[in-house]
Amino acid sequence: MPSGRAPAGVQPGGGSAKLPPPGRARRRWRRETLPALGFLTPFLVLLLIFQYLPLAVMARYSLYDYSLFNPSQAKFVGAQNFIQVFTDPATLQSLLITFIFILGVVALVVPISFIVAVYLNGKLPARALVRTMIFLPVVTSSVVVATLWTFLLNQTGLINSLLQAVHLPPAGFLTDKHQALATIVVMTVWQQLGLASVLFLAGLQSVPRELYEAAEVDGAGVLRRTVSITIPLISRTTLFIVVVMTVFALQAFAPAYIMTGGAPEGTTNLIIYQIYQTAFQLQQPGYASAMSIVVLLFAIVISLIQMRLLRTRWNY
Amino acid sequence: MTAKTGQRSGWGRGLLRRSARMTAAGIVLAVVVAVFLLPYLWMVSSSFKDQKTIFAGLSPFSWSVFIPVHATMSNVVALFQKGIGQALLNSLIVAVIQVGGTLLVCAPAAYALTRIRFRGRGVIFGLILVTFMLPAEALVVPMYGVVSGLGLQDTLLAVALPWISSVFGLFLLRQAFEEIPIELDEAARLDGAGHVRIFLSVILPNVKTAITTLCLVTFLFSWNAFLWPLTVIQSPQRQVIQVAIAQSVAAGELPNWGITFGGAAIATVPLIVLFLFAQRFFVQGLASTGLK
Repeated sequence: MPSGRAPAGVQPGGGSAKLPPPGRARRRWRRETLPALGFLTPFLVLLLIFQYLPLAVMARYSLYDYSLFNPSQAKFVGAQNFIQVFTDPATLQSLLITFIFILGVVALVVPISFIVAVYLNGKLPARALVRTMIFLPVVTSSVVVATLWTFLLNQTGLINSLLQAVHLPPAGFLTDKHQALATIVVMTVWQQLGLASVLFLAGLQSVPRELYEAAEVDGAGVLRRTVSITIPLISRTTLFIVVVMTVFALQAFAPAYIMTGGAPEGTTNLIIYQIYQTAFQLQQPGYASAMSIVVLLFAIVISLIQMRLLRTRWNY
Repeated sequence: MTAKTGQRSGWGRGLLRRSARMTAAGIVLAVVVAVFLLPYLWMVSSSFKDQKTIFAGLSPFSWSVFIPVHATMSNVVALFQKGIGQALLNSLIVAVIQVGGTLLVCAPAAYALTRIRFRGRGVIFGLILVTFMLPAEALVVPMYGVVSGLGLQDTLLAVALPWISSVFGLFLLRQAFEEIPIELDEAARLDGAGHVRIFLSVILPNVKTAITTLCLVTFLFSWNAFLWPLTVIQSPQRQVIQVAIAQSVAAGELPNWGITFGGAAIATVPLIVLFLFAQRFFVQGLASTGLK
């Protein structure tokens, strides 16, 4: 429409030359900025309300002693909540437990999923079937995974029944304070293995075939090719998987809520569960917000690493 | 002569290698079936058994635990009497709002970021990118404060609404939009089309794969979400399916295994069937989610 009207009203080189900047700015406003705002506004409004506003609310909560039942009686306490995060033994234990949990999950998922990906990338039959089966837990909710494993691991559950069948003593798993955390690490590995394997598989498939052919000509065996070609070339994928698994493990909640309630002796009291309990059971959202900020800062550091990786992902 | 023997031994070695490969594949398959498939089989078959039959198969162990021999529908009946139908419906409503809302909000935003060259694009993109780093589960406490402030607590809308401005959805669509040649826009513009028409009739019809992927993955996330619905919904009649399952195993009382398994199976099996039919979309979509 505007392009059709312009030649009729404006002489070439005439009036339009007098005020080019305002005219161009207005046209730019009408043709670009205005529609862009129209297209973006719904997204941005929701983003501000549900991402940025909670950040501000969280920062404010963290400085107050506060109850969800009685918001009007909030009392300013300054850094008290943050001091409490780093002095309260239960919270410190929870942070430590979460850290060990993350380390355990990453240390197991990375090598196992690498081996699975090498298998999926090979020529053996039934690969598609294997991929489908290991991906089942990825599309299963964490609630159902935790429920299923609660029964698998129960004193009278399937795993102890199988142990008994081969004349081994039953294991305590979730009720034994030396086994509970390791048990939920194993469960989380089971849950995430499919995703990590698929990510590794994509990494493997991006390694140029010629490199392997050249190495084969030079007489390098399978192990040698894996160590000298595959592992260095997919190191970015590996780091990416480490980050994804770290952030997933950091946010784990269902295992503690459904399987253990944080017991025995707080050994499975993951930080998100501790935050949930503090805010909604103990009614201390101020203190819970201070904990959340600590978790958030940790996640941001991890994510910054990831963004650096993603930006340089395609340059070998 | 030498060539012939060489050929024969090569053939023999090939056969040996083939059988070794079949054996290796068989072992891998057996392990994967045992570790990944049997737990699901146990869950589904136990859904059709009463408490006594479940435990009878476990002590001593018998293979019948994986097969519903004396199948009973009593668990399913009990679940629907306890209101699982309502919980399923609630989850479905939330998922539909979330999938529809995500598309409605993310697709135009992705269009603006890829197809319109406006001032401030970089700033807005940065503003969006930053939220990619925020772990959703750590924001639950202040998010509850925001939702209560809006008067939305204890509503199904509040379960879905905060996740509609999905950065993952925006990135997925943005990537797909960028693959459409800009010449198509220019041709449409010459025909007098504005941004709305280009968006609706040039861009959207060309990104069906990305839209399908986004719908399926968003549905999955919504259906499987737990901590947020647990926090925001208090009324039992508005509870979503995952919270209903979680509460049936809650520590303290002895759960009825058959009923709990039944609930878990009803919530999971339809999704698994969907996954089997649309595996490509799920795998690609989830692999590209990265953080969220």
